[in-house]
Amino acid sequence: MKRILPFIIILLVLGVAVGSAYYLKRTSNGVQPLPPSANVSANDASQGTTPVTSGVSAGAEPAHVLGPANAPAKLEEFGDFECPPCGLVHPILVEMKREFGDQLQITFREFPLTQLHPHALAAASSAEAAGLQGKFWEMHDLLYEHQKDWHETFDVRPIFEGYATQLGLDLERFKQDVNGNVVARRITADGSRGHGFGVKGTPTVFLNGKEVPFESLPAEKLRILIRAAITSSK
Amino acid sequence: MTTANAKRNSVLYVVIAIVSLCGLADAIYLTVEHITGESVKCTIIHGCSEVLSSPYATVSGYPLAGVGALAYFTVFSLAILALFSYRIAGQLLLPLVVVMSLMSLWLIYLQAFVIHHFCQFCLLSAATTFVLTALVIVQRKLARA
Repeated sequence: MKRILPFIIILLVLGVAVGSAYYLKRTSNGVQPLPPSANVSANDASQGTTPVTSGVSAGAEPAHVLGPANAPAKLEEFGDFECPPCGLVHPILVEMKREFGDQLQITFREFPLTQLHPHALAAASSAEAAGLQGKFWEMHDLLYEHQKDWHETFDVRPIFEGYATQLGLDLERFKQDVNGNVVARRITADGSRGHGFGVKGTPTVFLNGKEVPFESLPAEKLRILIRAAITSSK
Repeated sequence: MTTANAKRNSVLYVVIAIVSLCGLADAIYLTVEHITGESVKCTIIHGCSEVLSSPYATVSGYPLAGVGALAYFTVFSLAILALFSYRIAGQLLLPLVVVMSLMSLWLIYLQAFVIHHFCQFCLLSAATTFVLTALVIVQRKLARA
């Protein structure tokens, strides 16, 4: 017995190692459904209501939404304007919106990873400040499309103010709003919503309440998932 | 070897086995992060995405962390076998942990001077390897005493 005991121990550890690797892969890779309360709040948020259910924040109100509230496919992105993978996903989402039109609704949530990206908060604040003047999506597009221009700049304020001028915003109001409470509260609300869902990185995308794994975000894979979401809702 | 030394030797093998399990858990986590693509995202765990998505994180298409997991599992197996008096296993431990330490030093160099980002979980793995090497050296000295 003593001769085979070490082999039994080794096999046991091997089993536990393989099992835990499989479990970890399943929990971090699979399309995970959000808690039911999250689905409710995701839908309601797009309609301008402010429910906070089961500790999951509804996020900033009104949310930044593209597309009709009754769209069969609802996509919610938690993004950071300074995150390079978010910059790569941006044109894919633009392509999806163009392709699916009113069948797809896209909501953007601020999730600036301030520990990782020094300008993430400034970028999020600029997008929200532009939003207060009705130009959120325009600023959102500019920030992502020109990410490489400002990503490594020391002082990004003049660049973002330049974008505000380019969009025809009231620059004085924009400068005030960037540091204002309304913008700060909106970013915090979106961040709380993300934390409530267990979002740990960006971009994190939910499609009809289910997390889309990062490797499914290329256009050809995302297209299939959106099509399936539309079909299943019929 | 005296009885006291033999007892210390056994305790050391148990400690080596436990420490290698910590390394194994860390390496499994990193491997899964790599495989699922989570590492390609920007994540709250600062630095790991930059390190794991770098070209140095793979060996012929296989995640380097997976090779690490295999190495820790081998250390664990050898320590357990040595504990149960398989003498050759104890002798194989030293060259293995020395190779692992050299590899860890190379990876720390890459993080510091090439990738310019540190991943905490990779550093934890390196620290585990260095502890294992120290333990194995002490064990070898005890075995010779």
